[in-house]
Amino acid sequence: MTDSKLRVRAVAKTYPGQDAPLQVLQDIHLDIRPGEFLSIVGSSGCGKSTLLRLIVGLENDYQGEILLDGQRITGTGLERGIVFQEHRLFPWLTVAQNVGLALENATLSEADKQRTIAEHLDLVGLRGFESAYPYQLSGGMSQRVAIARGLVNRPEVLLLDEPFGALDALTRATLQDELRRIWQAEGITMILVTHDVEEAVYLSDRVVVLEPRPGRIKRIVEVDLPQPRQRTDAAFVAIKDDVLSDFGQLPRPSLLPTSWPARSAADYLFAL
Amino acid sequence: MSSTDTLPLPLPHSRNLAARSLRWRQAVLARLRDSALALLLPAAIVLLWHLAARHGWVAAQILPAPEQVALTLFELWDSGELWANLSISLGRVAWGFSAALLIGTALGVAMGLSKTAEAYLYPSFKALSEIPVLGWIPLLIMLVGIGEAMKILIIAKAAAVPITINTQQGIRNIPANFLEVARVYRFTPRQLWLKVVFPASLPSLFNGLRYGLTNAWLSLVTVELLASSEGIGYQMVWGRQLFQLDVVMACMVVIGLVGLAIDRLLQLAETFLLRWRRSAF
Ligand SMILES: Nc1ncnc2c1ncn2[C@@H]1O[C@H](COP(=O)(O)OP(=O)(O)O)[C@@H](O)[C@H]1O
Ligand SMILES: [Mg+2]
Repeated sequence: MTDSKLRVRAVAKTYPGQDAPLQVLQDIHLDIRPGEFLSIVGSSGCGKSTLLRLIVGLENDYQGEILLDGQRITGTGLERGIVFQEHRLFPWLTVAQNVGLALENATLSEADKQRTIAEHLDLVGLRGFESAYPYQLSGGMSQRVAIARGLVNRPEVLLLDEPFGALDALTRATLQDELRRIWQAEGITMILVTHDVEEAVYLSDRVVVLEPRPGRIKRIVEVDLPQPRQRTDAAFVAIKDDVLSDFGQLPRPSLLPTSWPARSAADYLFAL
Repeated sequence: MSSTDTLPLPLPHSRNLAARSLRWRQAVLARLRDSALALLLPAAIVLLWHLAARHGWVAAQILPAPEQVALTLFELWDSGELWANLSISLGRVAWGFSAALLIGTALGVAMGLSKTAEAYLYPSFKALSEIPVLGWIPLLIMLVGIGEAMKILIIAKAAAVPITINTQQGIRNIPANFLEVARVYRFTPRQLWLKVVFPASLPSLFNGLRYGLTNAWLSLVTVELLASSEGIGYQMVWGRQLFQLDVVMACMVVIGLVGLAIDRLLQLAETFLLRWRRSAF
């Protein structure tokens, strides 16, 4: 009936707030194709995490509707996974047991569970840490465990809330590539919230730019480049600069002397 | 799938044996030093006590010498009299504490999970718990007589209060973040209890157990002093009535040591069960 995997229709969300109600999302429309990789960028507090919480089914009190395969979602479901902004590992479980949480209700044999847990820890570079407890891990390592937990049960739709924010640049680049590889291999529909525009352009089919108070879609940028992408490509840089220009932090072209060497918007990232 | 392009990571546990054994030695030394420090104050008191008895600062009938108390303690143990009384007391604590565990956990879980249950129960619970053990004894004697039931009820009440409060707090304070993870993975109620609620509130539950057991032991001695014909508290009363203060003091030593032992045992269990919080060494 529909070729959308996930359909977000006229969604609005208001929190009660202290004195006055706080409208966090307004008139959000999204049609996400099966197997699409969609990124959401926007300044902090503009409702990105809230949108993911609605889609994963943790918040059920909102206006509009969210349809998965044409069915209105009700509550959480194993076909939708999420990697939270904070790692949310259980401190009383080991690394392997934390990843195993996602498989509690999976229809796999115990041996298959152990095997796939080991594979995913390998994937995020944590082989040898199976029996470590969270207090023994750095923030970046904890986040990688959380990513393994999000992937291990192969949801149809995976939501990622700034999953690489706490990682060092090298690990981040590695995990971006691994995520892209898994996405291409498994056909999982992915929605990535990030504050890193380059990351969004590197991975996504489309980048959704949100503007704040209340959170609205400002525009949606198509990234029509073949995978895997080159970050230094002229076309890549052009799209990245285009998205960055939405954040209003760049000098307006008319104010720049025309003889100045062409700069990439990345040069201004420090000011964001 | 290789992870060759990630950074090399330090191993989670130091594999360096020399560093490990050094840490062990330091930890053992620290433990020994702590034990030595713990013994310093009792040793000083025994010394002062010894001097006071020796030089007759206090009359011997009122303050028997520590050697005398030690001898009495040994005799009481040797005759089996001490163990007979102590085992009766421990049995009462076991029964009372078990009852408290059932009641306290049930009440604490109910009030921790449901604000409605809390609204119904908490004020009454709080008011009743504010009445000290001594205040309950007269009423209970009227209701159930002076027998075992009264003693077990007193102990149960004393232990149930901290167990209830800590269970409620433990459940109330489980981070909502963790419950959301459980929702995302569609935990059944059973999984929720076993994988999240119980382990997350375990530190608090343990606090309740420790305070509960301490309270149980304290109120046992109180109730036995006032209304009993056997048990370690009764032995103390008996010693006082015969003006055998060495017996009284021997009992005090036993009561203190048993209390300490109970607390230490629970502490050990706690360190072991909650080792995910921090490694001991
Ligand atoms: N449970 C809540 N109750 C009230 N306000 C909330 C709640 N969760 C988030 N908010 C508010 O909603 C806005 C958007 O939050 P969030 O979705 O976390 O933004 P983002 O992820 O884009 O940084 C913020 O102003 C935040 O304070
Ligand atoms: Mg957020």
